Amino acid sequence: MHPATPAPAGTPAQHHGSLPAGGWNRRHLLRTLAGAALAVPAAGLLAACGDDEPATDPNAPVNISFFWWGGESRAKLTEQALKLYTAKNPRVTITPTWQAFTGYYDKLATIAAGGNAPDIFQLDDNGLAEYAGRNVTLDLSKYTGNGKIDVSKHPESLTKYGQLGGKQVAIATGENTPAIVYDKTALTALGLELPQIGWTYEQTITWAAGVSAKKPGYYGMMDPSSDYKALWLWLRSQGKEFYDGPKLAFTEADLTGWFKLWVDARAKGATPPADIVHEAVDGSVTKQLVVTGKAAVSFMWSNQLSEMQKATKADLGMTAYPGDPKGQWARASTYWAGSRTTKSPDVVADIINFLVNDVEAGKVLGVDRGLPNNLDVRKAVSDGLTDQKMKDTVAFENEITPKFGPAPAPPPKGHSGLRNTLRDIAETVTYAKQTPEAAAKQFFTEAAAKLA
Amino acid sequence: MVLATATRPQAASTPPAPPRRRSRRSPGRRQEGLAGYVFLSPWLIGLMAVTAFPVLFSLYLSFTNYDILSSWDMLEWVGTANYEKIFTTDPIFWKSVRVTLTYALIAIPLKLTASLGVALLLNRERRGIGLFRSAFYLPSLLGGSVALALVWVAIFNGEGSFNSFLSLFGIQGEPWINDPDWALGTLMVLSVWQFGGPMVIFLAGLKQVPTELYEAASVDGASRVRQFFHVTLPMLSPVIFFNLVLETIHGFQGFTSAYVISNGSGGPVYSTKIYTLMIYDKGFTDFQMGYASALAWIFLIAIGLITVVFFSTGRFWVHYSDGGDS
Repeated sequence: MHPATPAPAGTPAQHHGSLPAGGWNRRHLLRTLAGAALAVPAAGLLAACGDDEPATDPNAPVNISFFWWGGESRAKLTEQALKLYTAKNPRVTITPTWQAFTGYYDKLATIAAGGNAPDIFQLDDNGLAEYAGRNVTLDLSKYTGNGKIDVSKHPESLTKYGQLGGKQVAIATGENTPAIVYDKTALTALGLELPQIGWTYEQTITWAAGVSAKKPGYYGMMDPSSDYKALWLWLRSQGKEFYDGPKLAFTEADLTGWFKLWVDARAKGATPPADIVHEAVDGSVTKQLVVTGKAAVSFMWSNQLSEMQKATKADLGMTAYPGDPKGQWARASTYWAGSRTTKSPDVVADIINFLVNDVEAGKVLGVDRGLPNNLDVRKAVSDGLTDQKMKDTVAFENEITPKFGPAPAPPPKGHSGLRNTLRDIAETVTYAKQTPEAAAKQFFTEAAAKLA
Repeated sequence: MVLATATRPQAASTPPAPPRRRSRRSPGRRQEGLAGYVFLSPWLIGLMAVTAFPVLFSLYLSFTNYDILSSWDMLEWVGTANYEKIFTTDPIFWKSVRVTLTYALIAIPLKLTASLGVALLLNRERRGIGLFRSAFYLPSLLGGSVALALVWVAIFNGEGSFNSFLSLFGIQGEPWINDPDWALGTLMVLSVWQFGGPMVIFLAGLKQVPTELYEAASVDGASRVRQFFHVTLPMLSPVIFFNLVLETIHGFQGFTSAYVISNGSGGPVYSTKIYTLMIYDKGFTDFQMGYASALAWIFLIAIGLITVVFFSTGRFWVHYSDGGDS
């Protein structure tokens, strides 16, 4: 039961998937051993080292490992779309693996460290720079250049959002926008107006305080002070920016102001007490206060509306984050990236191309990973939607797209750690353990170490 | 583990026996020893490959900037920079050390006390005692499992069943796991609740205490309490020592429950950011695996030192009644 000696790396064993392997060479060996040194039971690693595949014969069978995070419904859609591909390309077999977001990046990092990164994997803004910046991803520029991955019908901003250091490191899976989701049923019952695009933060907070006042024990809105995307949009709506290259583009005073805004909001009764805020802070859909019926507004992404609706009986509505919508931009919800060590880069490119450009595949995938970036597919998908909330998502995106501002560069390396830093430090303010000034100071100290 | 069965309760005062002399080995015995190692070799090779090598490799990595994802030739030797940063500028390190020590200093003694207490209760021959022993061991079968931590979340969140229970008595509960002042306590309760492992060992130890001692003590008019302090505890001290060492190491290494209950954040407000969680964060969220390795080595040395302290103080209170050279 107890290990007799303390293991030096106090990390838990990572699950080691059966994602396919490279052959043995010196570097693989080193990497593999390094992976073992860190956390991984060696048995899985040894098992994961398969035979070399002949890569030259165009008709030779190819096996592609494919890894993403998401829920049950996303898994069904994705597997269905992949089946469409393998039906058309019988020599390709795809081994899909998926899991919940929590732990996804840990697992991806571990298998990538072992030199066995999946051939195709899903990334988001947080992972893009981390993985591309460390050269884990396959350079897709060649394929976007020769049309093997056709981006001619994608909005340019989305394509660019998958570029880093002049390379196309990933292809956006769809367009997505931060959005607030509100409880239409509760607000209508209370006889209150519904939030609108373009409300300022002050307006929204006053309105939220009104909600809380009308119904004791219920709150107007979630406290988004620990949410990097809310802070980012708040900064942008004032003409400021979050990152300037690999550095922070805002000041300690800005951050103090942000924390103060939410301290005041709590004082006014607009947001719930810290412990209720904490329940929803990890961002998972089922714990959101709108879903658990504790508050009228949650800060989410537009593609999450349909999934949230499935978790509650209340009718949900959606609008933009407070502040000038020009702070918003066309964001990639997630990306498809290939592994630099894949044996079949052409097939990888072909599958990615199929997923983003094929109308049939697009219809299967719907708006689960955001609005399809191929505009033809987007039209076909929008016309064929049956899920009301997915239709709402499309309507929302169509409404807000013309109001977008210019897109910033994707976040730099260190962003995923910094997000957690913001979450932890914002909580010290929410729980009144620290003043906004002290918290902002701590954030800048830690940020210097994370972005270095 | 050999449990002492000698009959003199005052053996602590016996002068220690002279150290046994090691007899020189004959060539035949040396051959035998060699054969032993040959038979052990599959295990030894396994130990080297999956334990010793990774352990030492992580020591090497702790002096590098290894980031887990970059290709191997990006690896740079950074000297003691990681260690310097940890002790001088890392704002989370000391917070985490404090949380971990608080957790260990409270949860480990509580767990040992609870397991000893239950072992004493279960050390009677009654009908159906086997059933009770199994029942009390049951929570430990679930180990540090994720499922159990999730159950804990369900019980100890703001609207959890524990607060519903309290409200039956008109008590307004705290938000436990969502309250920075209570979250760590909730983790401690979870750890104490799983007292089955040490309990079984205590129980075995209690069975080894010769009944003559109690008979003699009661003839001398010693009360139950006196018997406990003057017979049971001294006779049990090697077992207590064993459990103390193991539970300390185990306690410091706790990870799963803190990770699951705080959703990986170590929150609210760093209150459950135990050391292992910090290592994990550094390695897998910040991709600073070299730095994380340095943290792990500091941890290893700290636990090692604590264990050394236990062993060196053991001679003052651990009592091996065979009068052996403890």
